[in-house]
Amino acid sequence: MMLQTAATAATAEAYIPGRARSEIARKAFLYAILLVVAAIFFVPFLWTLVTSFKTIPDSVNVTLIPHPWTTAAWHEIWTGYSFGTFFKNSIFLAVVVTACNIFLGGLGGYAFARLRFPGRELLFLLVLGTLMVPDQLRLIPVYVMLTNWHLIGNFSGYILINLVTATNLFFMRQYFLTIPRDFEEAAKLDGASYFKTFWRVMLPLALPAMSALVILQFQGTWNDFFWPLILFGQGNPSHYTIQLGLAELHFSYSTLWPQICAGSILAILPILVIFLVFQRYFISGIVSAGVKG
Amino acid sequence: MRRRVGVLLAALAAIVLAAASAQAGMRTQKVTNVTLAGWSSGPDEDTLLNQVIAVFNKTHPSIHATFQVINGNYPVAMTARFAAHNPPDVFYVDSSVAGAWERQGVLQPLNSFVRKSHFDTSKFFPKLLHAFMKGKTIYGFPKDWSPLAMEVNNALFAKAGVKIPKTWAQLKSVAQTMLQKNVIPGGKPICLSADWARMGAFIYQNGGSFAKVTSKATQQAVAFYVGLIKSGLAATPDKLGASWCGDALGKGKAAIIFEGNWLIPYMSSTYPNVHYGIAPMVRGKQQGNLAFTVSYSMAKDARNKQAAWTLLSWLVSKKGQQLWMSKGLALPSRTDVKAVGGRKPFLEAAPYARGWGFGNPNFANAYTKMGNDLTAVLNGSMSIPKMLSDVAKALKGH
Amino acid sequence: MATTTASDAPLSRIRTSMLGARLREAGWGYAFALAPIAVFGLFFIYPFGYAIYISFFHWGILGKQPGGAGTFNYATVLHDPVFHTALKNVAEYTVGVVPLEMALGLSLALVVNQKIRGRNFFRSAFYFPSIASSVAITTIALYIFNSDGLFNRIIGSSTPWFTTASTVTWAIVGLNAWTTSGTVMLFYLAALQSIPTEVYEAAALDGTGAWRTFWRITFPLLKPAHFFVLVVFGIGALKVFDQQFIVSGGSGGPNYSTFTPILYVYNAAFQNFDFGVAAAAGVVYFVVIFVLTIIQRLTVGRQEIA
Repeated sequence: MMLQTAATAATAEAYIPGRARSEIARKAFLYAILLVVAAIFFVPFLWTLVTSFKTIPDSVNVTLIPHPWTTAAWHEIWTGYSFGTFFKNSIFLAVVVTACNIFLGGLGGYAFARLRFPGRELLFLLVLGTLMVPDQLRLIPVYVMLTNWHLIGNFSGYILINLVTATNLFFMRQYFLTIPRDFEEAAKLDGASYFKTFWRVMLPLALPAMSALVILQFQGTWNDFFWPLILFGQGNPSHYTIQLGLAELHFSYSTLWPQICAGSILAILPILVIFLVFQRYFISGIVSAGVKG
Repeated sequence: MRRRVGVLLAALAAIVLAAASAQAGMRTQKVTNVTLAGWSSGPDEDTLLNQVIAVFNKTHPSIHATFQVINGNYPVAMTARFAAHNPPDVFYVDSSVAGAWERQGVLQPLNSFVRKSHFDTSKFFPKLLHAFMKGKTIYGFPKDWSPLAMEVNNALFAKAGVKIPKTWAQLKSVAQTMLQKNVIPGGKPICLSADWARMGAFIYQNGGSFAKVTSKATQQAVAFYVGLIKSGLAATPDKLGASWCGDALGKGKAAIIFEGNWLIPYMSSTYPNVHYGIAPMVRGKQQGNLAFTVSYSMAKDARNKQAAWTLLSWLVSKKGQQLWMSKGLALPSRTDVKAVGGRKPFLEAAPYARGWGFGNPNFANAYTKMGNDLTAVLNGSMSIPKMLSDVAKALKGH
Repeated sequence: MATTTASDAPLSRIRTSMLGARLREAGWGYAFALAPIAVFGLFFIYPFGYAIYISFFHWGILGKQPGGAGTFNYATVLHDPVFHTALKNVAEYTVGVVPLEMALGLSLALVVNQKIRGRNFFRSAFYFPSIASSVAITTIALYIFNSDGLFNRIIGSSTPWFTTASTVTWAIVGLNAWTTSGTVMLFYLAALQSIPTEVYEAAALDGTGAWRTFWRITFPLLKPAHFFVLVVFGIGALKVFDQQFIVSGGSGGPNYSTFTPILYVYNAAFQNFDFGVAAAAGVVYFVVIFVLTIIQRLTVGRQEIA
């Protein structure tokens, strides 16, 4: 497994003086492989970027160079479609839903991981059970419920049903399970309340997990198309998210590829930013800070 | 000083109040809001329909109509809204689902509105209107339509030295000649979709029908269609590297395709440099064609039915439909509205094109079976009689 | 809220204060779990209960239709050969995609967890496919893998991978494994952070090779993460819908090869308006997924007693 030997190379370098030349050759080879893999992962995006600068007739060709080169698509989506509004709406929803999920998912995950209460295992199975109910099955009852509560046509219904997801709660629980009890016990000795323990001790310790969830939940909400369409996206352009806006470019018989590609790139940028910002928190290995505290 | 400010403020307040009450006075004319929902098959459509609606709003100041585009998941969105008793007032109904929606009771019968407003229904092509009727009850009026025609690549025809075919026999021989002369390297003479919504036209051309799916006539027609593909004279679009036959025509991978009016805006925006011609659909023992049509219908749960009817009837009136036809995006469903130029091959089919869906409430389910079984027949894992008996059963609701 | 110091209190007082502490803990447990449970209850459990109810009736868009209660919908679903094919398709898909996703995600996580140069770059590159929405990626994939698309030009084939019955499931497996590997990578990456570096240091000092360090130490320590990935992505695979829908245009073809149980529910509800059958299919499938998850819990998740 070449990726494993990359690991060996790294650790070996740290602790045992390496053999110079073959070591370098090996490493160069491994980096080359990684770069090829990374390139493969990049190709579709390269294609998307390139196509956004093509004309519609040219966009059906498989070429990687636009012929002719034009910025018409970018111009059109910015002026012809209010992408600014779509952006604003998408960001608002993503931020609110992500924040709620981190807080409620963390709180719930902590409870299921560390607090003992009767019926905990059964309730957890229930939580897992929600993962198994397909959206298509619960669409009508949820839609009827929200219509009766007048939460359709604006963001409130959507935010309400997405306050917390089982995946997020589940992941936080799993992560809390791996944190040694010493931290909580220390907090208890200091007289901290359950909430304080959660807020001041456990949550900061779960930074890598939270970062993962911020990235994933932000993106999940950002890319959500189905529920926004049904709950507030029908004929309500002021409330459109980026995905709803992009769908405007998909027609049954004339797909505007260059415009869709341009719109997709715009749609991807914020997620990329979120990812780049939050992924550095993965480096902060916490537990080595020592239990000797 | 304070006294003067006080007087100023009071005067200001008085002015504001007066203006407000004047506004309110103007607003005493009640405006009824009516929503129209539909999908859009092209960017031109949206713009055009909004323009048409603007004309309506201007000429009907007591009604304010808004168009809600639902792009993607139209059936899901509409189903949810029907279930919540919160539907749009007027909306598109595709003829293939008309039967099912009628049966579910979500469409408003329109006969009483027609009677009360003396709406002239005789101007609609009978077969098109029939697609939205159950017995004598009218559930919607067709807003436009398109049948299938035969589109050809003139350059390839010239290269092969053949003439545009008119019958099945000619179609076959033209294709054979093209194949022999290898006029289309990397492609096939004909592009045929593995789709009963295309094969259906051939079924009617042979005297078969969807009411008698297992008849000999239907079986022969299906055998002909499938035979063209199996003998190498035709191929399905995916085998030609195209997403549909229009794409194949544009890419030069096929010389003959059978598509509707929707091909025209597609070709002009995606393949503007490909020269193609439109010829009438071929004929078998007789003429046969399918009409793809969409109606404007009213929701049973519509809140302002009278206003909704005003909008609906205006949209399908001579005036409304003439406006909608101005870009040639579809063909008029009324005999007294002119189509844009170059549509003769399509319009010729009006007398014998049957509304796709045939008012059958089980059609959607049957259509899924049709598609899957046809692909099985094409790759050799199912026999044609078996497919026909499956489809016959599905059309009856089993 | 000082904890009890057991040394100088009489036994009964210890017991009551321990009971008090237990009650307080339970109380706070419920309080913390309240909001999530309420959301799940309202928007998942209740709709599911509603589905169970209507699965015993003839139910249309506007509600109950004439006819009494009975198990006819379940009979329809369980005897439908299309449903059987759907189950077979999704089983094939899940068995293919889940191990692939886990292996890819874990490998990528291990790679970017190393102190290699440009690790931020690689981390972003590997995550890239997960960023785009599934509709966008599927449409691009359809384009690249059509019969004379980029892929076929490189390998010299002419098979339309996504529209041939024998290859479409595996094409979707490949596509989805590729796009979700970045997400799985993130979860494993987070989990890897909870393994202290001392563990690796100790193993290196002992002279344990990288392979053994991974299998004997890292891999077992990741058990909570394995369980999570297996359950979440396993259930996700069983609920797959988007790709098959887009690729087949909603038909589940060619020849039922992309027909999944969720598509079955979708068609019953939004194409045939037979909500009773849709509900019955949904309930049946829920039971299938539930049983599989229990099995997972009992095997992989066994050390979960926290």
